[in-house]
Order: sequence, then structure tokens, then C-alpha cells
Amino acid sequence: MKDVLWVQFAKDKRKPLFVLLLIAGSIAATLLFGGGIQSVTTVAIFSEEADAAEIEKKWEGLLNTNDTFTFEVVEPEKAREDIKKGNSDVAVKLMEDEYRLLVSKNMPSVSSVEQHVKKVFQQEAQINAVESQQGERDVREEIESYLDDPPFQMVAQGLDSKQIPTYNIRTQLLFAFTFLISMFILGFKVNNVTQDKVSGIWDRMILSPLKKTNMYSGYLLYSFLITMFQIVVVLVVFKYILHYDVGDNLWLIILIAACFTFGMISIAMLITGFVRTPEQFYAIYPSVIPVIPLVSGVYMMPGTITNPVLLFIGDLFPLAHAMEAIMSVVFYGAGLQDVMMSLLYMLLIGIVAMGVGINLVERRSN
Amino acid sequence: MLETINLSKSFKGKKVVQDLNLYLADGESVGLLGPNGAGKSTTISMISTLIKPTSGRITMNGVNAIDKPGEIRRVSGVVPQELALYQELSAYENLKFFGSTYKLRGKELAKAIQQALEFVGLDDRKKDLVRTYSGGMKRRLNIASALLHRPQILILDEPTVGIDPQSRNHILEAVRALNQQEGTTVLYTSHYMEEVEQLCDRLYIMDHGKVIAAGTKEELLRILSTEDKIKVEVNKLDEAFVEQVKTIEGVYKIEVTELQLKIIAAKGTSLISKLVHLTEKHQIQLLNFHTETPSLEDVFLHLTGRTLRD
Repeated sequence: MKDVLWVQFAKDKRKPLFVLLLIAGSIAATLLFGGGIQSVTTVAIFSEEADAAEIEKKWEGLLNTNDTFTFEVVEPEKAREDIKKGNSDVAVKLMEDEYRLLVSKNMPSVSSVEQHVKKVFQQEAQINAVESQQGERDVREEIESYLDDPPFQMVAQGLDSKQIPTYNIRTQLLFAFTFLISMFILGFKVNNVTQDKVSGIWDRMILSPLKKTNMYSGYLLYSFLITMFQIVVVLVVFKYILHYDVGDNLWLIILIAACFTFGMISIAMLITGFVRTPEQFYAIYPSVIPVIPLVSGVYMMPGTITNPVLLFIGDLFPLAHAMEAIMSVVFYGAGLQDVMMSLLYMLLIGIVAMGVGINLVERRSN
Repeated sequence: MLETINLSKSFKGKKVVQDLNLYLADGESVGLLGPNGAGKSTTISMISTLIKPTSGRITMNGVNAIDKPGEIRRVSGVVPQELALYQELSAYENLKFFGSTYKLRGKELAKAIQQALEFVGLDDRKKDLVRTYSGGMKRRLNIASALLHRPQILILDEPTVGIDPQSRNHILEAVRALNQQEGTTVLYTSHYMEEVEQLCDRLYIMDHGKVIAAGTKEELLRILSTEDKIKVEVNKLDEAFVEQVKTIEGVYKIEVTELQLKIIAAKGTSLISKLVHLTEKHQIQLLNFHTETPSLEDVFLHLTGRTLRD
């Protein structure tokens, strides 16, 4: 087995670009689609009222209370020009007690900005209303001191008396894209079996004293190790360099990833059983793989997919179980026992698909 | 040493090899000659135990090799028709891998690699990647990969397909040396008659999955001992002339190529006088006329009615 493993490694050592590109691709995809490195969005504000400077000064102070956005006063022409050219998604036109949003396209950031601006304006309107009722009293200061020491406070806790975890789509997308890319890596490595069969190398091995079990193990173990390498590298980069929240239990996440990799290698082996040439595999596999994350709902908030047929199809692949287990570990601090069922599902899928896949490959050989 | 008895193979109901009887004695060099699609590669695959025959037996030193494929695998080296090599690795790395599959390790492996490389003349290019090799060099490495465990029987399936004459000669010389100096038994398949003629002590001629003739070269040529092969060159040809030549008593076959006629006729046919008479009648000038020694190609033509490359 180790000879087969060595020769697979030797080939990749000669041409490492493919694996390295996929690792880089999985990091880039997460950054691109997951919202990138946490950054502050700058939103242009301006006023065209008679007392524009005063209005801008007032609202700039009130609006800049959020870590996500920075509201910056700009010339009205510049704000409009930026929106026209698509340089910015949204700008806010300020009036005495009102606002207008200037929007170029309906991006997710627009609704976030609108939510924040609306909240600030509503709050200010309420304070103004109270002030007009109360005459000379400094209501604003009273509210602030009141909120500093409120008579009631609501503290939300989880069942285990710990802080309620915050769901984070970025973390979910990190794992979704890492697993998506890993499915491509492992698939192309499993395809080496078909490639070597077509080239006659497989027959050379058959004629040697090498056992068939060792031959399959060599190919599959290499696929497993190179995929795990990709997953671990990506996780380490995100956890320790880009400081993503991937939970504290990295070892359990790696164990889940290992079960997922085994399950998907088996699926790739199953597909190998249906093809005759590596080219057929290259045509079928990349068409099937992108569908798996979609039906498994890994790019969406949990619970988005409710269709029972889609849920059933998703459950047939290890990805849905891996994501469920990982989200439990990362967001809810689940332990090994909590994710045991997901691990067992993945192993079961792996064993069944591997058995059928190898059987089909052998039948085809005979 | 190795024998096949009524060996047959069918694919989807179509018989590819039918009742093949073949034997290889120790140290012999045996050729399997036949056109493309004759069933040579299927025969090789069955003998090397890569595919199971539909019926028949293969024995190796009396042991049934279908039930115990290890009997053949242990002592044989197979050179497949395809280039079974890792193109992205060097020759040395390829041989290291294939050697290690035969459980060769350390110094033993290094020595086997060195010997194999020297044998096929690739020692000076051993560090180069296989994908940078010429077709002939790849073919030589393909052979070297089958020699690492010093097999007693070397089975070669068309090892010279698509290569230059120099590399072909190199391969033929190497195989001859293995057979004559090392005493390796050789089973060599080809559709190049001249290769098996040069290399093999005995021949099996296959067509449509059957052995249609077998024996030494002399024995096979004796099939044509009752025939003459005459080559005639003329200044012009017309159909009527050819048709009349065909009607000459004793003429079996005529092949017409431009201004040449190849005539196979029964020995003793008074062909020359009849031909001279016919050329005069058709006002054709006879430019050249000679009797050829029959070759294995002619034997194949005689047996099948077509050439090896048809």
C-alpha cells in the first residue's frame, strides 16, 4: 500500500499547482462570498437644506454609533456621482427630521444601512416628541442616565446557563466552501484509479504480488490524506491568521472533516464505478458536486430548505451531516457524543457507497 | 512450460478467441502473428491471467493457472501494448515504483533498476521525466518495467507499435539478447511479419480468433512449397489482359499494383510461355519477370486471402 501511496505523492510533488490552487481557491471563495475580512462600510451622507452644515453635523454624530458603518459627510454631487458609477451602493440624503436613501442596486448592505438609519431617526423623533412635551428639561440626558441603571434588565441565557451563541453565516460559508473544494480534490484523486486502469498501470500492479486491497487502500488513503491536508490548512489559515470563529474544539472539527472526507471519497468511488474512462469522470463528477451543497442547504441559513424531498436527497450525502455536526460544535459547543449520530451517518454512507463502488469497478474490470 | 488447451474468450456473445492451443517450451521464443483484431491481445491477456477465459485451460508447469494465477504471475513479465508508465515521473521513479510492487527493496531494487535501464539503453536519461521521452524511449522503458523481477517468461504485446526503426531495432535486439543470453522464454505478438520472422523460433498465425497455422518458419513456408510466386512488370495494363491471366491453368491468385502483377500459381505451371503469348496478343511489353521466394506474408495471404495489414 505504501508504494502506491508514495507514487501518488510523487506525482503531486512534481505537479503541486493543482492542489495549491484549490487550497487558495477555497480561501478566496470563502473571503469573496462570505463577506470578506470583517471591514467597516463607509456610507456617504449629505444635506441640501439651507442649514446643510448644521444638519450634517447633527446626524453624523448620531449615526456614527455602529461599528459596522462609518457615515461620512461628502458633497452632494460626489455622493450622486459615486452612486451613478457604482462606486458605492448607498448614500443618505439628510433633512431636518427625515432622510432619503440613494441606492444604485439592491445589495444586502443597503437594507442593513437602512435598518440602522431608520432606527436612529425613529429614536431621535421619539426623543424630540418627549422633549416637546416636557418643555425645558434635558430629556436626552435623563434617558441616558436612566438606561445606565435601568430598573429591569433582560439577560438571555442558553439552557446550559451560558451565553446564547450567535449564528454566523461567514463561519458556515467557510466550511461550505472548504468542503466544496475538498470534494473536487478528493474526486480527482480517486479518478487516478480509472486513469491508471486505462493506462495499463493498474494491470501491471495486478500482475505483481501487490494485493488488490493494498492497491485500493493506497489510492484511497492518498485521496484522504491530501484532502485532509487541504481542509486543515484552510482551517488553520482562517482560525489563526484571519481570526474567524471556528470554535474551540478544532480536533473535533477535524474528526468530523475526516468522516466527511471518507464519506465523499466513497461517493467518488461509487461514481468511478459507473464510468469507463477518466474523461467520463471529469465530465460527470464536476457536474454532480456543485449540486450537493445546494441540496444540502449549506450556503443558506439553517432551516431555509423545508422541502422534504430536497432534505431527503441532502441527507444521502455526507455534506449535510458534516455541516450539521460542525455548526453544532462551532456555535453550540457540542461535544463528541452530541455529534456522534452525524458521524455515524457519514461513516454509514461511506461504507455503503465504497462497497457498491468497488464492486462496480471490479465487475467492469471482469 | 506453459500451455493453453482449447482456450476461448467471448465478449457479449462474440467469440474473440476460439479453441486456441498453444505451448511454450522453456527458453523458446514464440511469435503470435496476426492482423489487428485477430485476438492476439486477448490471448495475451488470458495467458498473463489478466482476464479469465470463457472456456479452456491454461497450465503452467502442469498447474492450472486459471485457478492459481500466481503460478504465471510469479515468473512472467508482461509488456502491454499501451505505455503503462507515469508520464509525470522520471524513468528511475517509475522503475522504483514497479520494482517495489515486486517487493524489491534497497540495494536489490537499485541493482534491478540499474540493470533494466542499462539493458534498454536509458541509463543516461534515467532522471528525465518520461513525458520528455520520444515514443521509442517510452517503449523501451515499458519493457524495462517488466524486467525488474527477472521474469522467466517475457510476454510482449506489440511492443514496437508506432516507433522509429532505430528504436524498433533496439527493442528487437534487446529481446533477442534476453532470449539467447539469459534464456528467457519469449512470447512475442506482432502484426509485423518481419519482426517475428527475425526473433522467433516458432510461430502461431492467428486470424479471426483462431490459430490458422503453427510451426517453425520453415514448416510454415513449406505450406507454399507447391506454389510459385511470380512478379511481372509490364509497360501497360488492361483489364482484358488481367482477366486472361487469371484463366491460365494453375494460377491461384493475382494481385495487381499499378504496372505490376503478383501471381501465385501451382509449381510447374508453364506460366512464362503463356504470359509471353498473352502480352504479345494484347500488345503489351514485358519489362521484368522473376520468381520470388515466398515469405510468411505470403503464407498469411495464402491462408486468409488477405495481407497482414488489411
